[in-house]
Amino acid sequence: MKAKIKYLSVTLLIISYSLVFFSFLDEQQGVSAAYKFPYKKAGLTERQAAAHLLNRFTYGATPSQIDVVVKTGMEKWFAQQLDAAMPDDTLNQLLDKFDDLKLSNAQIANVFPKGGQVVRMAIKDGVINKDSVKNTDKKEYKDQIAAYMQQKGLKPEQELFRQFINQKILRATYTNNQLQEVLTDFWFNHFNVSITKNDCAVFIPNFERDAIRPNALGKFDALLLATAKSPAMLYYLDNFSSSGINTNTNQPALANMRMRFASQQMAGMGDTARKTQILNKLNQAKKAQGLNENYAREVMELHTLGVDGGYTQQDVTQGAKVLTGWTIYPMGEDGYGAAIKKLMDRAGADKLDQLGFVHEGDFLFVPNRHDNSEKTVLGKHFEAGGGYQEGVQLLEMLAHHPSTARFICQKIAVRFVNDHPPKSLIDKMVKTFLQKDGSIREVLLTMTAAPEFWTADALRDKTKSPFELAISSVRGLDAAISQPYQLFNWINKMGQKMYYYQAPTGFPDKGQYWINTGALLNRMNFGLALAANRIPGIKVDLAALNNHHEPESAAAALVTYSKLIMPERNLDQTIKRLTPLLAAPDLTKKIEDASSKTVPVVPLNQASQKMVFTDDAKKKGDKNSMQPDNTYVAMQSRPGNNSMLAQVVGVIIGSPEFQRR
Amino acid sequence: MTSRRGFLKAGGLALFGIGLGGVPAFIAEAAASVKKQELYKKKKVLVCIFQRGAMDGLMAVTPFTDEYLQAARPTLFMSAAKSSSSNPLIDLDGHFGLHPAMNAFEPLFRDKRLAIVHGIGSPNNTRSHFDAQDYMESGTPFNKGTSSGWLNRAVGLLGHDAATPFQGVSLTSAMPRSFYGDNPSVAISNLQDFTIQMRGNPAGANMAARSFEDLYDQTSSGLLKQTGKESFDAVKMLQKTDTKNYQPANNAVYPNTALGNSLKQIAQLIKMDVGMEVAFAESGGWDTHFNQGAATGIFARNVTDLSSSMVALWTDLGTYQDDVTVMTMTEFGRTVKQNGTGGTDHGRGSCNFILGNDVNGGLVHGNVQPLAVENLEDGRDLAVTTDFRSVFSEVADKHLKINNDHVLFPDWKGSKIGVMKST
Repeated sequence: MKAKIKYLSVTLLIISYSLVFFSFLDEQQGVSAAYKFPYKKAGLTERQAAAHLLNRFTYGATPSQIDVVVKTGMEKWFAQQLDAAMPDDTLNQLLDKFDDLKLSNAQIANVFPKGGQVVRMAIKDGVINKDSVKNTDKKEYKDQIAAYMQQKGLKPEQELFRQFINQKILRATYTNNQLQEVLTDFWFNHFNVSITKNDCAVFIPNFERDAIRPNALGKFDALLLATAKSPAMLYYLDNFSSSGINTNTNQPALANMRMRFASQQMAGMGDTARKTQILNKLNQAKKAQGLNENYAREVMELHTLGVDGGYTQQDVTQGAKVLTGWTIYPMGEDGYGAAIKKLMDRAGADKLDQLGFVHEGDFLFVPNRHDNSEKTVLGKHFEAGGGYQEGVQLLEMLAHHPSTARFICQKIAVRFVNDHPPKSLIDKMVKTFLQKDGSIREVLLTMTAAPEFWTADALRDKTKSPFELAISSVRGLDAAISQPYQLFNWINKMGQKMYYYQAPTGFPDKGQYWINTGALLNRMNFGLALAANRIPGIKVDLAALNNHHEPESAAAALVTYSKLIMPERNLDQTIKRLTPLLAAPDLTKKIEDASSKTVPVVPLNQASQKMVFTDDAKKKGDKNSMQPDNTYVAMQSRPGNNSMLAQVVGVIIGSPEFQRR
Repeated sequence: MTSRRGFLKAGGLALFGIGLGGVPAFIAEAAASVKKQELYKKKKVLVCIFQRGAMDGLMAVTPFTDEYLQAARPTLFMSAAKSSSSNPLIDLDGHFGLHPAMNAFEPLFRDKRLAIVHGIGSPNNTRSHFDAQDYMESGTPFNKGTSSGWLNRAVGLLGHDAATPFQGVSLTSAMPRSFYGDNPSVAISNLQDFTIQMRGNPAGANMAARSFEDLYDQTSSGLLKQTGKESFDAVKMLQKTDTKNYQPANNAVYPNTALGNSLKQIAQLIKMDVGMEVAFAESGGWDTHFNQGAATGIFARNVTDLSSSMVALWTDLGTYQDDVTVMTMTEFGRTVKQNGTGGTDHGRGSCNFILGNDVNGGLVHGNVQPLAVENLEDGRDLAVTTDFRSVFSEVADKHLKINNDHVLFPDWKGSKIGVMKST
């Protein structure tokens, strides 16, 4: 019944927005044979076009990947990426060890207690003395807490984030479904949530896993609804606590359930002090309740319509009322929702549907916290008593709104074309978005079929984010990663503390944001450190990259490796500029001498060392992604040419040309 | 164009190998440009310190004559009476007492260089650290979607172009929310890292730096070219001074803490005259739910760090003092009543400190009513009687000559309370 209503309302909405309903029927996997990329008109060769495609839809080409794309056929390769169904056995094997990333949110809530929670539990259980909390720096105290956590099966939050970030880096580097991963990054940033907000932090891994990644290439409305109902978003933008006045007199049981529950609890009590305490708590809870507009505002401003999308403060307030009662299903032993859990237990599991509760996974709609008056948002009228469904209708309306189509298509074009995409291109994408029910894959097909995508203005016009720079470097050098977190430390230093961006806007997607003075120097230092194998847990075999053909000179190395690392680019200027510098013989000798005395691997810093992902990935059988250790040793034993080579490659990675894609 | 290339060619090797062998390009350009001559005029500097975790303002600056407070805090309350305790509060004005561990502040307060605002906070009554910090740093207490931070907007309102990349500097590893935005600002946790690094291999670093400088100079991307130039100019500027072996002036002693370190580097940047006008540093550990202590303990250690770091900066600045104002901020205060674990929970109003020669010092500004339940916000917390935007904007207006309040703090229309001298 519920499903039917939902379907009907969706259909009505679609018709009311003059959308072409048969796009549902038209939808099919794969791309029609007539679909061709118009790169020739822009004067690109097939290989140049393939390089552009890889620059836009992957985290950088791996050695010889251009050959693969050309051989597969560019259109077919893109269709495979849109389907995101390429086998990923190697990657899955690497990810298998991340146990915490397989947990449900409820399990996570019970395994990863918040900061002070452990201390409180430990005091309650008499494991530590209240007074010893004074000396939190003492080893003895820390050991006590650690032992207590172990005994209780609890883990520090940092462990979850470490697994999450390690996983992210391995996935971006090794997945064969690159486009899905690139879009996962794009949509996560669009629907940004932040580890800096403690309440939502532990739910962020599953936000990406369950709400973002599976919907990255699907329909925009599905993505929007999935994020709206996810605990991370409900906490991050506070909608979990938003409540309105429910005047549903037909269901006094519901309206007064909380009060009744409290009075029942108090009935058997003689102790009036305890009664007063409960009443006070109740009143306090009532006072704390109220409308919270944060999510309603940001869903319009940042997730759908855009700041100039034509909504008013009135729409925000009314929209917030529509979304009251959208909250999180109780999870955890004493965590958030314990009160609601008791309430639901009282009502009886079989009566919840009848009372208007909606429970889907971690999401819960609580009818007695829902404002059941009538509302109007963006001219659409919502009858009184719409319950859960009116929230769905609101989000569907927002997802299909013409302003949303433009806002989203503009953002996609900025991500995949350049920082100032032409209006003609956006117009085509908007048309597709509206005609194809907000299908993200259809919008991408329209974008790549447009000549604007292939023009000289678009080529290499995007600045890589620090994450893109790091991943494209390890992919381009075919590096072996045993400590992914070390890359994260560098990505931080270069100015992108992933998953910690505080504002709901997400990281700005423009070159000016990424390229500033301190960040740029760190990009150069990153290149030098990576190529010289000075990043622990990231191993580069430069000799193997060129099939162990040793370049005859530094100048020859420059030419050879520039072309390997940045294929299909005009590197004449780079080579011309650098060659004279490399030719100075005494300089070369100085570098060789100095580096032979240098310890090759220096930890980034001591603090980060503790955070290192220690599970050494010595998977010797895995030829695709990991190189056997002896290669590394052999290379290091010949410091002569290799330190000069490392220097050359480091300069290439830090060069302006490699910062662009 | 030719002269610039000539400079780089000639100067490159010497600059990176041996030491500073030339004039940074921006200075060479300044000679030919009237606008950039501003560089040689000393600029005012605003230094902001964010105390993350919410400082207990009632313990830092205690209304010790308030009998309600004494009752609400049986073990945390301190007296100013010299007889009752070996370590009494420092009586500031017969009503407010400074925590004894902040005795470093006393001379500056008496000298009217240090002002305190009590009952300061946000109009948004959230008691979430995240939300309250977010609102304070964006400067828009009811709007999460504000993309920029108030200090970044302050940089944009200075009224002149950035002469160097150091106009806004955060001594943190990641850019804080306060500095989010389009105006030039940079996050550096350690000045010594601000260079091309190859440990133990100066020849390699030299060659790499020359290569990078050359490559960035010829790139077709305007953004990379310009930022590359600025970066290398910045490196050269910092190389003018031996940042590693810095000796503070006037026997100033910085505590060996994160904050002490940050303020020491801020002092270095001020003295190097690198064009910094807004600086930011952080201090942590203020979320004192457990055993916060009284005259000694966790809180006392925190305020010792805060006050002695600020005083070290002030002493070290010497003749630069006229140019600098230092202001602290914290997201909210803590409950009037102490909790069951010898600490305090999340509250509303707190206090902040403003240090500078243009400050209306020697006073506890603001409005703190007797802490009877009926005067408390939600019956439990020190009420917020001064909007933080009132104080921040007054300091920015008077010290940095920014008077565009509707840009600095959109949505705010309030009055100033006179924390700065009216000149």
